[in-house]
Amino acid sequence: MSSNSFSCHVIGLGAWGDYFDSWDSLAELLKSNDAVPEKVSGPKPQIIPANERRRAPLPVRLAVESSWQASQMAQIDPKALSCVFVSGFGDTQLTDYMCKVLASESKALSPTKFHNSVHNAAAGYWTISTGCEQSANSVAGFNNSVSVTLLEGMLQCIEENKPILLTFFDAPVSQILTDIMGPGDSFSCSLVIVPEGFSNKPDDAKKITATLEYISCEWPALNTRSDVLEASYKSNPSSRILPLLELLTNESNSGAIRLPLSEQTTLSVLVD
Amino acid sequence: MDVRIVDYESTSAAGVNIAALRESIQAQTSGLRLNDLSGSSLDTWIGRVSEVDDIQLGTWQSRNNALAALGLEQGTIKETMSRLIKRFSSARIGLVMGSSTSSIDRTESAYTELNSEGRLTKSYQQPLVHNPSAPSLFVAHYIGITGPALTINTACSSSAKVFATATRWLNSGIVDAVLVGGVDTLCLSVLHGFDSLQLVSPNPCKPFDQNREGINLGEAAGYAVLMRPEEAETDLDLLLSGYGESSDAHHMSHPHPDGLGAELSMTQALTMSGLEPSAIGYINLHGTSSRANDLIEGQLIERLFPKTTQCSSTKAWMGHTLGAAGITEGLIALDVLQTGVIPGSMNLENLDEQLNISIQAENKAAEVNHVMSNSFGFGGNNCTLLFSKVDNKNKGAV
Repeated sequence: MSSNSFSCHVIGLGAWGDYFDSWDSLAELLKSNDAVPEKVSGPKPQIIPANERRRAPLPVRLAVESSWQASQMAQIDPKALSCVFVSGFGDTQLTDYMCKVLASESKALSPTKFHNSVHNAAAGYWTISTGCEQSANSVAGFNNSVSVTLLEGMLQCIEENKPILLTFFDAPVSQILTDIMGPGDSFSCSLVIVPEGFSNKPDDAKKITATLEYISCEWPALNTRSDVLEASYKSNPSSRILPLLELLTNESNSGAIRLPLSEQTTLSVLVD
Repeated sequence: MDVRIVDYESTSAAGVNIAALRESIQAQTSGLRLNDLSGSSLDTWIGRVSEVDDIQLGTWQSRNNALAALGLEQGTIKETMSRLIKRFSSARIGLVMGSSTSSIDRTESAYTELNSEGRLTKSYQQPLVHNPSAPSLFVAHYIGITGPALTINTACSSSAKVFATATRWLNSGIVDAVLVGGVDTLCLSVLHGFDSLQLVSPNPCKPFDQNREGINLGEAAGYAVLMRPEEAETDLDLLLSGYGESSDAHHMSHPHPDGLGAELSMTQALTMSGLEPSAIGYINLHGTSSRANDLIEGQLIERLFPKTTQCSSTKAWMGHTLGAAGITEGLIALDVLQTGVIPGSMNLENLDEQLNISIQAENKAAEVNHVMSNSFGFGGNNCTLLFSKVDNKNKGAV
């Protein structure tokens, strides 16, 4: 049994959302004072074969695009990456489609839409497109989706001593469900993390140390002046990765945040 | 590796608890019935748990949560959890649930009762229910767990993978015990979804039979309490000795033709446990009764294990319980270590002509030390679990 602190290095990042199409553009948006960024369309991840890409739902395309960017930056073949995909909402557009058809007389579902409706569709498309035979996880944790996935991913990285791809993604909520979920938006961010002793990590790879505390806390406020990121942070469970991303773009190269993990636990994260 | 199983329970059409399941297995009584799920006239057989129908949960209401609650009321799970919460504090207990439907049954119902503006009516405005982590939110609330909680949704491997995650959490020391579970309920999405893929059988399923016609869907809840050996308070002497997790990298709904990912998950589990294939006394196969799965999985077993290794699929007892199948069948395999009764592959008449493995309809009595359970899901997501008896002399795998 070890202590309640554990460390990994971040060696790859990727991102796609309504106003950014890469980790660099998200990092810039986090630091910028510009009021109104330009909206981007897509994504159309080239790694998914064209036939499959046409059938891939938006949450899948968001997740695969940011995952691909992060693996490229990490210079690790995706075949060597175990992965954990998390979405707090799931694919609500497909939920909406299924429930509407099932409330009708015919109940005849499209087989493609049915298999795309599984929560692990993004992990499935990713492993199929990249030929990855490693373990692929697909999880959900409601408002704590980000913190509990950080915990799960870091522990897998350390306990199994291997690089892990973590992808946090959610897409706009289907209309009927907005009454209980809010509107949501497009947001996906991926991190490639490696254990401390990993041989091929760049010298400037940032180290994240997570400590479990057995007390409750509130989600921290963002420092960014970006209204669109602020709005995303409030309405998208996966955008709750933003406080950590702010630490990773921090010019002082270090800092700490505390993220709620469960009713009585907190994940304190230190970056240096 | 050595993670102890200190308590476990199972609820399905084959028995509301593990004691009733043992009786069904012993007597070879199936829980399958002609489809009578409200709202569906699909011509198939299902494994419905009728005790769920009348459970009321207020703002937590969904069929899936009702089945989760019914499962938690069985055996000694609630007592075990309250004792552990008292001993370690609720924040030092983890919860990992697996599900594929979460509470989609409730969202389906909500859509049949939208108001005149096409919006959710008041009784369906349940943010904690209409989302993929509903099972862990509900079980944490029901049991009073305040430590880390997660729901794994990897289709039909979901509640096998909960054992892998719990192992990592226990080994890291962040929690002192983990309640793992799986719960999935019959709903229109799965009945009509699998029908759209032409995988549903109009007759009771016959896993591995030459004349199998497809799957029967079922519902189940299952739970196990896992601890590190040095703190485990139990005389069960059962342990999780290995797990394997892999991907097919092939297709969203068809298994890899050579069973590549399935082979990886089985060999990983064996490597982790340090056991040879010949040490495995019983394998509970994924065995959905689909043409593709059973042939590919059977051929793989033939390639990886000695001819003498006893195998069966137990899906003719309760149907394919999807996200709950991993734990339901993992616990059936685990229970063989206790009962010495290897379940047969019920409904098997003529083994698939392309297969040559030790599988038969009848149960067999045998003293077994190590068992394996396979779970394969959509997206090519595979998980294998290995359970063993504790050898008190050597404190590890026998």
